[in-house]
Amino acid sequence: MKISYNWLKEFVDHNLPVRELAAELTMVGLAVDAVEMVGNDYILEIDLTSNRPDCLSHLGVAREVSAITGCSLKMPVIDLKEKGMPTTDITSVEITAPEFCPRYTARVIKGVRIGPSPAWLVARLESMGQRSVNNVADITNYVMLEMGQPLHAFDLHHLKGERIVVRRASPGERITTLDGEERELTEAMLVIADAERPVALGGIKGGEDSGITGSTVDVLLEAAYFTPLQIRQTSKALALSTEASYRFERGTDPELVSLASDRAAALIAGIAGGEVSKCLVDVYPHRKQLRDARKPINFRRARYTELTGLEVALPEAERILRALGFEIEAEVAGDLLSAKAPTWRIDISIEEDLIEEVARIAGYEHVATTLPGSAGAGNYLDGESGRRAARRTLAAVGYNEAISFSFVNVETDAALSDAEDEDRLLLFNPIDETQSHMRTTLLGGLLQALERNFNHGNRNVRLFEIGKCFRKSDGERPLELERLALVATGARNESDWLAANARLDFYDVKGAIDALIDNLNLPAANYAATEKSGYLHPGRAAVISIGGRDVGLIGQVHPRIATQYKFKQPVFIAELDFGDILTAQKIEPRYQPLPKFPTVVRDLALLIDTGVTFAAIESEIAALSIAELVNVMLFDIYTGKELPDGKHSIALSLRYRSLDRTLTDEEINAAHGRIVKRLIETFGAELR
Amino acid sequence: MPTQGSRIYPEVLGQLLEMMNERLKQLREDFDREIGLVTTETEATELRDRWVGRKSGLLTAEMKTLGKLTPEDRRLAGQGLNDLKTYVEAGIERLQLGFAAGREAEQLVRERIDVTLPGRRIATGHLHPITLLREKIEDIFVSMGYTIEDGPEIETDFYNFDALNIPSNHPARSWQDTFYLGDHLALRSQTSTVQIHAMQRRQPPLRVLAPGRVFRRDTPDATHNPMFYQVEGLLVDRGITLGDLKGTIQEFVHRMFGPETQTRFRPSYFPFVEPGAEIDYSCFKCNGTGCRVCKGSGWIEMGGSGMVHPNVLRTAGIDPEVFSGFAFGLGLDRLCALMYGLDDIRLLYENDVRFLEQFT
Repeated sequence: MKISYNWLKEFVDHNLPVRELAAELTMVGLAVDAVEMVGNDYILEIDLTSNRPDCLSHLGVAREVSAITGCSLKMPVIDLKEKGMPTTDITSVEITAPEFCPRYTARVIKGVRIGPSPAWLVARLESMGQRSVNNVADITNYVMLEMGQPLHAFDLHHLKGERIVVRRASPGERITTLDGEERELTEAMLVIADAERPVALGGIKGGEDSGITGSTVDVLLEAAYFTPLQIRQTSKALALSTEASYRFERGTDPELVSLASDRAAALIAGIAGGEVSKCLVDVYPHRKQLRDARKPINFRRARYTELTGLEVALPEAERILRALGFEIEAEVAGDLLSAKAPTWRIDISIEEDLIEEVARIAGYEHVATTLPGSAGAGNYLDGESGRRAARRTLAAVGYNEAISFSFVNVETDAALSDAEDEDRLLLFNPIDETQSHMRTTLLGGLLQALERNFNHGNRNVRLFEIGKCFRKSDGERPLELERLALVATGARNESDWLAANARLDFYDVKGAIDALIDNLNLPAANYAATEKSGYLHPGRAAVISIGGRDVGLIGQVHPRIATQYKFKQPVFIAELDFGDILTAQKIEPRYQPLPKFPTVVRDLALLIDTGVTFAAIESEIAALSIAELVNVMLFDIYTGKELPDGKHSIALSLRYRSLDRTLTDEEINAAHGRIVKRLIETFGAELR
Repeated sequence: MPTQGSRIYPEVLGQLLEMMNERLKQLREDFDREIGLVTTETEATELRDRWVGRKSGLLTAEMKTLGKLTPEDRRLAGQGLNDLKTYVEAGIERLQLGFAAGREAEQLVRERIDVTLPGRRIATGHLHPITLLREKIEDIFVSMGYTIEDGPEIETDFYNFDALNIPSNHPARSWQDTFYLGDHLALRSQTSTVQIHAMQRRQPPLRVLAPGRVFRRDTPDATHNPMFYQVEGLLVDRGITLGDLKGTIQEFVHRMFGPETQTRFRPSYFPFVEPGAEIDYSCFKCNGTGCRVCKGSGWIEMGGSGMVHPNVLRTAGIDPEVFSGFAFGLGLDRLCALMYGLDDIRLLYENDVRFLEQFT
């Protein structure tokens, strides 16, 4: 809302320089965003909150200044002389939709001369950023900016039957508005009609062929109150927003209607000439109910202090509220005021509203800062230490944290998830169709991020994300499942100039997951090959389980999907049910005595079928239950042309140790021999 | 039995001692000359063997001649010979140390590397700037006795609007502004929803901080995303005032931005609080003097706040005449943009590694 410094002064004779005025208004809740010098005036740009439509006028803002400064509010002087015929002899008003228009007034000014506005009026409108049209139209705008009441002027003789009917539009009814647009209407919309057809979209915009023209002589001046909801809905449905609809949809003052009409009529007669008809036609069917709905509200001084920490004397509270237009009855014995809100203050309904009124004028800056006393220790969200450990572990092993939108492209999501179509949640009103479903996997977001990175030339990408995925459920709300996913591709370590060509692979991602699980204090994960996932390479995919429970999948993106994304390098992904992992049984660390006797290492190289898994070798060795065997480490896998087809060489390092003595060569040879024999027998392996 | 010489020919014996001294002097000169000629470590070893070798050393042989002297002379001559031996050994040791030092120096030169070659850095990742900020804010409030809570991201009308005193015709409820998954199911449009869950779960005193994702139907541009992060704070207890809200926020900004940071509260409107206040804090970039970050005002809007609306308390089953409370909310994305100088917040969710790697 633009407010002219000079214009404002006509209603309250304060002596604040413009900067101070701006600061004061800001501190009572009318945030002044900018002050601009225009000629010998300043224009204040006020960012009004939606609860204060009463300040969408100079008079409204002046009332605030009056409350701040104590200078009294001066209402505009209305010099109205009703010399013409009684209005009821000229026209009539009928309201058939009082739910949309509780009050409609009309009066006629006969014999006006439409012409340019006087210079002062043009200047004022222009300083508000408005274009001058003609004297009558300008006056209606002027009164709106001055008092906040939108008005409309019809050419009386363009109204069929020279009368007004305020009604709902018939379905399919059409009107061409002043901007030349033909609009189709519905029953949920209000029109101002004459005897035959709609002549205006009530409270929004006038019709094309009923308004003021250069040849207009007799003007019918409309001043009315329209209910906010219908205005907002019609304005939105027709994508038509005007200064008038802006005010009506936020809420105008039904009691201001006749005063604004008087003000405009007096100005029209004064500037454009003509005679104002006698007595306003004022149709206001439910006035009494509306008035009675305003109930007095108590303002208890003690409650004020209880909520704000401020002290106020009852007379000062009374002064503030009166200045803002409240009707007050002081009950000194009860240490309270009984206050009835003015009709323009649609935002006041309870005591806390009054408390805010007094506090904001008294000044929030006077509220002393205090700290509430202790109420016990704070606490993090369940699982937060696990989340933080996971984030830091993954960052430490080279993964950047990503955050993606929760809504995704349904095809992408479906291709990367095992969710059934009927489990998916659809947004009724997505911004665009490529983001129409709630994600059931984090992989869609990560692969999209990867795609973007490739497009920007980033070929070495490691990302992880922790976030919720969504599925339908039978409960009140859908399931929200916390998941963790990784994507990795490109160089293993771009900064290692001795191994700059090393590409990361399945085992790098597996290692990252092992590090993650270890840092979460969980037992080691088990990986079992799987061919069942539709989006993972069937020969390079595994189900991850912890303590016998499946917690996720890891693998290389299936070549078919990689092709769809136009990935030109292998991409590895993993996704975990992070919620399950956070609640899984943790290992309680216990001290293990350090070995007192030496460890002996024996290496072993086997020529073995490539189809024999490392897990199979491990379990064969474990089946021998050799107590002295501490662990088996893989240290090389060699595949070469000189080796027979379908075979490779696996080099193992076996470590032997006893808890109670130094092992002899004979003992170690015996144990090692059993292992070699077993592997040769079971797998047809050969020693190399 | 006394040795014969000293008694019988004292003058002759005196001459012998003199000769001996002469000889020592000569030897010392010889050694000085020879050591000066040594150029290799092998020559140094030879020099040592010739002079002080256990079997054939010159001085070893010389020692054996001392037997001819009287005890008195033997003592004197022996001392001279020992001095010479110490002199020779020291000279040779110095020589050998010099060679060893040279050998070490050569080895160190051979082993020299180019320390300016790039380090073999373990490629570490980075946490998302939203996470970094969120954790910092969580830490501050947990230390002030708050419990971090979250709530569902898919909410019912009741939690998202009704319970927050948002009127049924409020524009925020429209399909233009809020994402709907059903007639009464929406993506939450503010973390204030967690207030209601928290108050329903537990009775006051309550101190809750709820960070999380929220959703509004904004088409992405430099300052909007349809998803962003908020942090909601709630404190409900007996006798809580606007002053407590001011004090709490001031404490927070001091810890977040430094103790010189000022806060400002100005009246504002949010349906779920009354009285309501907009929180501004003095610009961390210019300390309130006005700059580009704060658009010249010296102040930055942090978010909305106020005393919890009595309707909200009542809806959650708390008597507003017994308990009062405050709530505040702030947007992490905006804070992130301001703190890191981001000119386009779409970058936050595009996950470009060149962007993500800028934050630690």
